[in-house]
Amino acid sequence: MYHQEAESALPPYRILDLTEGGCMLGGRLLADLGADVIMIEPPGGSPSRTGPYYKNIIDPEKSLFWWAYNANKRGITLDVAQAEGRKLFKDLVLKADAVLECFEPGYLNHLKLGYADLCEIKPDIVLTSITPFGQNGPKEHYQASDLTIWASGAYLYACGNPDRAPTWIGFPQAGLFGGAEGAIGTMTAIWHRNNTGEGQYVDVSMQESALSPNLNVLQMWDVSGVEFHRLGGALYVPSTGVQQPIYFECRDGYVMILIQGGNEPFISSSARLVKWMEEEDMAPEWLVKLNWKLDYDATTMGQPIADRVGEAVERFTLTRTKAELYEEGAIKRQILIAPVSNTRDISEDLQLKSRNYWEKLEHADLDDSIVYCGPFIRMSDTPLKYQRRAPLRGEHNDEIFGEELGISREKLNSLKEKGII
Amino acid sequence: MDGKVFDGLKVAEFAWVIVGPAASRYLAEHGATVVKIESHKRLDTLRGTSPFANNKPTVDSSMAFGRHNPNKYSVSIDLQHPHGQKLAWKLIQWADIVTESFSPGTMEKWGLGYEDVRKLRPEIIYLSSSMQGRGGPHSGYAGYGMNAVNLCGFTEVSGWRDKRPAAPHGAYTDYISTRFGALALISALDYRRRTGKGQWIEQSQFETSLHFFAPPIMDYQINGRIMERDGNRYPEAAPHGVFPCKGNDNWIAIAVLNEEQWRNFCQAIDQPHLAERKEYATLPQRKKNEDELEKMAADWTRSLMLEEAEALLQRAGVPSHVVARPKDVYEDIQLKDRGYFVPMNHPVMGRQSYEPQSSFILSKTPRRINRPSPCLGEHNEFVFKNLLGMNDEEIAGHIADGSITTELPGQFKVSM
Repeated sequence: MYHQEAESALPPYRILDLTEGGCMLGGRLLADLGADVIMIEPPGGSPSRTGPYYKNIIDPEKSLFWWAYNANKRGITLDVAQAEGRKLFKDLVLKADAVLECFEPGYLNHLKLGYADLCEIKPDIVLTSITPFGQNGPKEHYQASDLTIWASGAYLYACGNPDRAPTWIGFPQAGLFGGAEGAIGTMTAIWHRNNTGEGQYVDVSMQESALSPNLNVLQMWDVSGVEFHRLGGALYVPSTGVQQPIYFECRDGYVMILIQGGNEPFISSSARLVKWMEEEDMAPEWLVKLNWKLDYDATTMGQPIADRVGEAVERFTLTRTKAELYEEGAIKRQILIAPVSNTRDISEDLQLKSRNYWEKLEHADLDDSIVYCGPFIRMSDTPLKYQRRAPLRGEHNDEIFGEELGISREKLNSLKEKGII
Repeated sequence: MDGKVFDGLKVAEFAWVIVGPAASRYLAEHGATVVKIESHKRLDTLRGTSPFANNKPTVDSSMAFGRHNPNKYSVSIDLQHPHGQKLAWKLIQWADIVTESFSPGTMEKWGLGYEDVRKLRPEIIYLSSSMQGRGGPHSGYAGYGMNAVNLCGFTEVSGWRDKRPAAPHGAYTDYISTRFGALALISALDYRRRTGKGQWIEQSQFETSLHFFAPPIMDYQINGRIMERDGNRYPEAAPHGVFPCKGNDNWIAIAVLNEEQWRNFCQAIDQPHLAERKEYATLPQRKKNEDELEKMAADWTRSLMLEEAEALLQRAGVPSHVVARPKDVYEDIQLKDRGYFVPMNHPVMGRQSYEPQSSFILSKTPRRINRPSPCLGEHNEFVFKNLLGMNDEEIAGHIADGSITTELPGQFKVSM
């Protein structure tokens, strides 16, 4: 837990955030680190105020997606496509260190708000653009979505069951990677600006970040000419073609058990599992006698033994819950087990509770306080702070346009009427 | 000044495998000097992971290791040896940043934990990354990347409703944790620039990675709804999926997010009359008839080559991309245009393609890969002599007493 009075890492910086979707995570991370991040929505409200919704009430102000990725930011509405909106945006840029955006390449140039235009009014500005394929190149104008970007990174091909289409992770990830890269790129550019006084343009490609999780899959092809085939979670041994089952059904779902032999720490872990099964009278004699070093060595074993072990283990796991297998198996008996957790298991996780992970934010407008995922990292001297819930539409219009830019109430009303704010 | 961002910044990298090493790559690609502290007695898991260049498994020929470590220097020190710990201290004295990713308590055991380091180097920025963090009942839980992907909920929501979950391949959450770690390092540097103060950054990869799954977690905590896997479907689009093309295991991803894209899709599949049909007019209606729409899409894609399908859909304005295979990305015209793969000559592996860690290009100080991944202990002389100012005699002493390791204790063994 942190002290409210502790300093933050990034308070000197103001970031204007024009992003949507998962890319909004980038500004959120900078806001958690203490930067003053201003979310700019179109006057009608952002299309990223999507479901699921608070208490299932379909209302853009109750979007959990919006809440999750815009907490700690302030928010204004502004139509940068209109001339007066552009002027106001430029006034804001004058006081900002960086701008984050994820429009189609060329859109800001078309509005005369591109990097060169912003440099004219603020030469050391950092402009960070997060797009599916980057600003230039043969795919710059490809129509894309989170799923199609994921497909372009080849990681999708490595995931899913072998007898069906590859499958993504059910909650879209590519935009979040793009947002995180945008935050790192922005801070790298700000560091450079602090050294040299020179701003620059940051061009993020979400395709490139979608290549990242491939572990060694790309190199297996490039170096050895081996094409990786998805296995729905089984362990595949390329030299023998054997698939070792590691996911097992249990009473209330699934667990992963890294049942392997040949090497430590797997031999001991597998032996401890058999011992536990034996204590429960669920280990067949052949399994008790199995030599994990020699008989279950991935480089020499055959498929029948893998299947036989898998079946015996699953007969046992079916008698236990995820929590029992995790607490007694993994934590107490030191077997390499991980529960396949769902959102309830995560919410009830003992470790997260013990580290006081969850943070609450007041939603005074709803007369409620809401639990959020806690600090993404612990910083001893500049702890991440949870200061405010995500902004309502135009919540800080008066504060920012009125108090900071000194725009009169009459003028604000007229801008509102014209649909600019 | 050659225009690089982190010129002069020094990182002592005790971290191994993926999370820490990938985080420091953001700095290395923009000019920082990163020294990996390795040992012949405790090999980085990735050095034993396939693929091996020329199909010859050696400690210096894994491109799984290579992929995660270009731009870095490697020294080989036995940290269990008291004189090895002295060398480690010299590196810590030299460094601005220390990273480590051992099980909690390991660095402390060697007298290299943050509290020890802080006493002598209060300005150090020290990153500790572990699977479940310091303290708490699961702190000592064995940390494999494959475990975290299950703990974080990603496995549960991957695959099909009528099948077991199909876990995302490999160490998925490592690639999330890496990015948050890098951002925290740069932010801590920025704070230090203003205040002179260093700090300890402590990462639980579990806690970090949940941010990539936050809305479904809130949906459970507020609404009691547990998210389930559902193939490639997505509540905000229909059709939305991965469909078969001609040939074996060829797939294309298609996403229809709004009414305009729906009309475009009907054009692309040459059935413009469908755009007039009421039962498909809005997203809720298309969601209701999603089975039909998916069948329609698959019937159309099945008769087409991958490139053909992608071209027709793109021309009509429908988000789409072939599901790239590993071989495809090496030929991807966009990645070529951005200079994504960088060929480098490696002393043992020969010519290899390296990938940048940063998915961004800075206009004035672009990312750079300027040296291949290091061989184990390749830079002992350079680091101890040129960076730390030790003399030949001292170095020879460390080699003689084994605190600088030079040989594997046994035969090289492939771990994965």
